Amino acid sequence: MSSYNELIKNFERIRSYMREFYVYGFKSREEYNRKSVRSYDDERRRMESWLGDHMGFVQTADGKNMFISIDSRRTRHNPLYKALKAKSFTDGDITLHFILFDILSEPETVLSLPEILEKIDGYVSGFSEPMLFEESTVRKKLQEYIREGVLVGEKQGRKMLYHRSADAELPPLTDVLHFYSEVAPCGAIGSFLLDKEPPSDGVFTFKHHYITHAIDSDVLAVLFAAMQAKSAVTVSNLSRRKDEPSRERVVPLRIFISVQNGRQHLLCYQPSRNTMRSLRIDYLSNVKIEEPTPRFDELRAELDAMQPKMWGVTAQKNRYGEEHLESVEFTVKVGADEAHIAKRLEREKRVGQVEQLDDRTYKFSCTVYDTAEMLPWIRTFICRISSIHFSNPTVEARFKRDLEAMYRIYGVGEEAQ
Amino acid sequence: MIFSELYSAYYNAVAKIISEILRGNTNEKELNRIVCETAFGESVLTVLPALKSGKWQLLYPNMTTPLKKAPTMPRTLLQKRWLKAISLDPRIQLFDICFEGLEDVEPLFTPADYVLYDRYSDGDPYNDEAYIAHFRIALRAVKNHQPLRIEMCNRKGNLVEMTVMPQALEYSEKDDKFRLLSTGCRYGGTVNLARMVTCEPQEANWYVPYKTPAPMQKCVTLCILDERNALERCMLHFAHFKKRAERVDKKHYLVRIWYDRDDETEMVIRVLSFGPLIEVTEPNSFRQLIIKRLQRQKGCELF
Repeated sequence: MSSYNELIKNFERIRSYMREFYVYGFKSREEYNRKSVRSYDDERRRMESWLGDHMGFVQTADGKNMFISIDSRRTRHNPLYKALKAKSFTDGDITLHFILFDILSEPETVLSLPEILEKIDGYVSGFSEPMLFEESTVRKKLQEYIREGVLVGEKQGRKMLYHRSADAELPPLTDVLHFYSEVAPCGAIGSFLLDKEPPSDGVFTFKHHYITHAIDSDVLAVLFAAMQAKSAVTVSNLSRRKDEPSRERVVPLRIFISVQNGRQHLLCYQPSRNTMRSLRIDYLSNVKIEEPTPRFDELRAELDAMQPKMWGVTAQKNRYGEEHLESVEFTVKVGADEAHIAKRLEREKRVGQVEQLDDRTYKFSCTVYDTAEMLPWIRTFICRISSIHFSNPTVEARFKRDLEAMYRIYGVGEEAQ
Repeated sequence: MIFSELYSAYYNAVAKIISEILRGNTNEKELNRIVCETAFGESVLTVLPALKSGKWQLLYPNMTTPLKKAPTMPRTLLQKRWLKAISLDPRIQLFDICFEGLEDVEPLFTPADYVLYDRYSDGDPYNDEAYIAHFRIALRAVKNHQPLRIEMCNRKGNLVEMTVMPQALEYSEKDDKFRLLSTGCRYGGTVNLARMVTCEPQEANWYVPYKTPAPMQKCVTLCILDERNALERCMLHFAHFKKRAERVDKKHYLVRIWYDRDDETEMVIRVLSFGPLIEVTEPNSFRQLIIKRLQRQKGCELF
């Protein structure tokens, strides 16, 4: 029976638990039935160890429900990054790591593998049972560190010589790291850099700050690397309509990040369907970069051309390249002291036009792939919408039905009856 | 790619412990404090015992180390690529930083690789020289606890003067705006940086005449009808607040959300955006805000 370890080898399992605990937080232990109860207990204990006070529980009739609750306006650093700093390693890995960087402590120290092996022996010989490092193990580690960019390997004749990479001399980055580790994509990397700085809280706080994306950092980083290499990828995509993920080959074109609903999507081209698709990043895993595709620039230009017709993440073209477009227009009534409403229309619209019809009336209109995506935004103007028309009758019917349902729920219009 | 032991809290803790040992500090209590600060809640049970027992052969039983220098590691390629990527962000010019030395590094991403598609369009003017100067003065003042004398243009377009003690710079990703959070002035708790006309540091010994109270929090209870994936959408949408959720039955969930009182109007329209899939159950005062808007809408005789 394996004993509990605070560290983990594979991030995928904890990723799904963290998401459940943070986003939902109302499931009892028995409902996490994908793995064993022991597995649930271990993951819960790890999260408690990593996240401390951010973890809580409520006792219900069904049992103890664990949750993660974080008011991100009052937390200067994303606590979920801690999970990404919990990768397990072997005793040999950590010992070798520190010895290697002590041996190669200056970029000027250039050594061959036999020289390094000899020096390693000198480091461990003082222990009662010195670790034995095989030549192949050390070579593998050196190659790994060359790939990570922390060591350089240079051929001299038939010999490979190793030395530490020269680091860029950068000015103090503390403020930059405090800020960008929270707001930039893959901010976890900034958090890793901050770990090397003297501890401080930083001067920045954040509002409307979604932190869930932290647990998708690895997926996102690989997708970015694929885009930089103009390469296709194969991903596992867990649709919410299926139990098992499907394996799909797509050309990643752009990441669409929402700062209003906490979701991130990959806009990509799927060759097998000859269509643009949007895939939820939090549903993706096991991303493998494939060969570069000569069509990358052409496909990205196509997405650029589609973007002015996208409200959210829907970009609809059928396999023959035909676009399906819908339009909507609505007017809002604005009071004498409500100039901010007109400003809201201007700053919140992502596409389309705002037109002033008279002193008190403004019209918004646009043509997009999917007007249903606009319904949440249009509803924020409830109390002043004086006319509305959708080209898609189904969407218009839904808007009307929803509004009537809201009147019913809150008993509006029943007062006079 | 990102999930690697090179960035692990344990490696960082061990690096700090060895640095302390080389400095001659072998006090175990202090070394365990380093572990607590650098790693996780239960790491004290593992890190120092593994070092002391020779499981990780970096520390002799007499608390000396075979290592000769305080451990360091150059930045990884991934870290350099990320730094190069953020050097391309328009907000970077606020920080007066030069990224020399990364010329040969490919960015991990460029501005063309992602879009914040629902960010408001009237964000702060990051290219404006006066704005950049105010940002840097404010940043220094927060770090040095130095009062600031500010002239700003208020919502009505009038010029107002105030002296404040800066506390933090708050950034809203949705608004793409920086705000200076401060104390010391009755109407200056939050100052939009873009509204500043002048911003000058004052003598550090300025007496703070008015202590801005902490923002008052309120709580709203929502009942979610889980249709059209409303539960997931709602929980993600409100994920950045402190919240508690519970299941009522197979289709209904109750969520309590704590928000700042000053953001109540914003909360009302965010709740409205979910239509009939969210019902405000408590408090009645919040429910009435929704009802009032619906009554006004009904009066528009839309359908």
